[in-house]
Amino acid sequence: MGNKIDPVKWVIINDFGIMLDYRFQWRVVFKHWPELIQAGLLTLEITVLSIVIGMALAMALAVCRKAENPVARWIAATWVALARNTPALLQIYMAYFGLGAFGLHLSPYTSVLAAISFNNAGYLTEILRGGMDSVSPAQHRAARGLGMNRLQAYLYIIFPQVLRAVFLPVVNQIIWAMLGTSLGMIIGLQELTGMTTFLQSQTFRPFEFYLAAALIYLVIAKIATTAAHLTAARLFKG
Amino acid sequence: MQNLTLSFTFNDFLLMLRGAGITFVLTIASGAAGTLLGFLVGWGRSAPSRLLRHLLGAYIEVVRSVPLIIQFVLFNSFMAIVGHPMNPFVSGLLTLSIYISAYVAEVVKAGIDSVPRRTRMAARGLGMSYLQDFVHVVVPIGTRTVFPAWTGLMLGLMKDTSLIAVLGASPPELLRASQIIITRIQEPLMILLGAGVFYFVMCAVIAAASKRYETRWRREQETWQ
Repeated sequence: MGNKIDPVKWVIINDFGIMLDYRFQWRVVFKHWPELIQAGLLTLEITVLSIVIGMALAMALAVCRKAENPVARWIAATWVALARNTPALLQIYMAYFGLGAFGLHLSPYTSVLAAISFNNAGYLTEILRGGMDSVSPAQHRAARGLGMNRLQAYLYIIFPQVLRAVFLPVVNQIIWAMLGTSLGMIIGLQELTGMTTFLQSQTFRPFEFYLAAALIYLVIAKIATTAAHLTAARLFKG
Repeated sequence: MQNLTLSFTFNDFLLMLRGAGITFVLTIASGAAGTLLGFLVGWGRSAPSRLLRHLLGAYIEVVRSVPLIIQFVLFNSFMAIVGHPMNPFVSGLLTLSIYISAYVAEVVKAGIDSVPRRTRMAARGLGMSYLQDFVHVVVPIGTRTVFPAWTGLMLGLMKDTSLIAVLGASPPELLRASQIIITRIQEPLMILLGAGVFYFVMCAVIAAASKRYETRWRREQETWQ
């Protein structure tokens, strides 16, 4: 394999003026391109799923925070505090190692998805709460007056307005979720970072592989934000 | 071998306590360096030069869309490639500073934008130079506006210091220390809960302190009016 490679020679001059050369070898990265793309798709998949699950949970929690029932309020407040005040990596460890104490043995994939969704739900609840303050309470009363039940009022009247108000923070949260999935590498999930680590350990070209991974992450972030903007343009037009 | 024990000892507790100290030191050091760098980048983004604005904008976008783990490894191997192999702890500290600087820059930009144009024009009209206007008008007003956002970033930074473990940096910070102990005593739940409480308390203390500053500022502002 080695003798076929035609290295591109990069000469970097460091601050003492000594010439150093490092041969970038991109061919081996191209050879493993399909694995990288597949891992990137897994990253995208976990990101999207964790945001969808997190958003559904966050809507329920945001309603709970406004509820009269003190238990519901306590659950929501505790969830938000726990999710926001502990590292995402600790939450992943909790799901992967900690739940074992209860006889619950999750796979790396499920652990990462569960932990990132838990984390997203906490942050999104705070985001939604900020948005809900911007919607007049009269809207809720009017919806109920029209004969809608509570669920309908939130689903059709309140949340569409809230989502429009909090669109930008939600997009930021999507990027956060994507960055969070990279922690899966630490518990052995072969998403983009995990796969990159595996491939570089096989080929001894860490710099090239991580640079390629960084590029793919940039593209995924661009795809996610563009998709969010397009969805928003469709949903919120007029 | 008589020292080998499979239960949680006082030394383990000390290791975790020291880990919490390392977490704290890492947060303060990279928070200070990152805030300084982020301040300059954010300030640069309000400059009239379009090229500078685009360059800094690209810097912010790249740093914000690449996972910290990858940044750690890239920076570490980059320094080795250019002939300055670094201690993982130091290179981790620098990476954390660069990482948080991109977020700080966004906050600084928002702070600068939050100062009304008319206020700045009034300052210039009173004969202040650009620098005087910036130091005496924009910075004080902007700081108060974005202080809560900045605190949030520092709390996020403290939680992200746990990722320095991928470089194998020593001494171990809190989460790495917990992981070391878990590997030996095979009792993940209690150790992780303990580490969680540590983080939770540190976050709560910082958040409470920042809230006190905010209320004090607000009270001061009320007395001025």
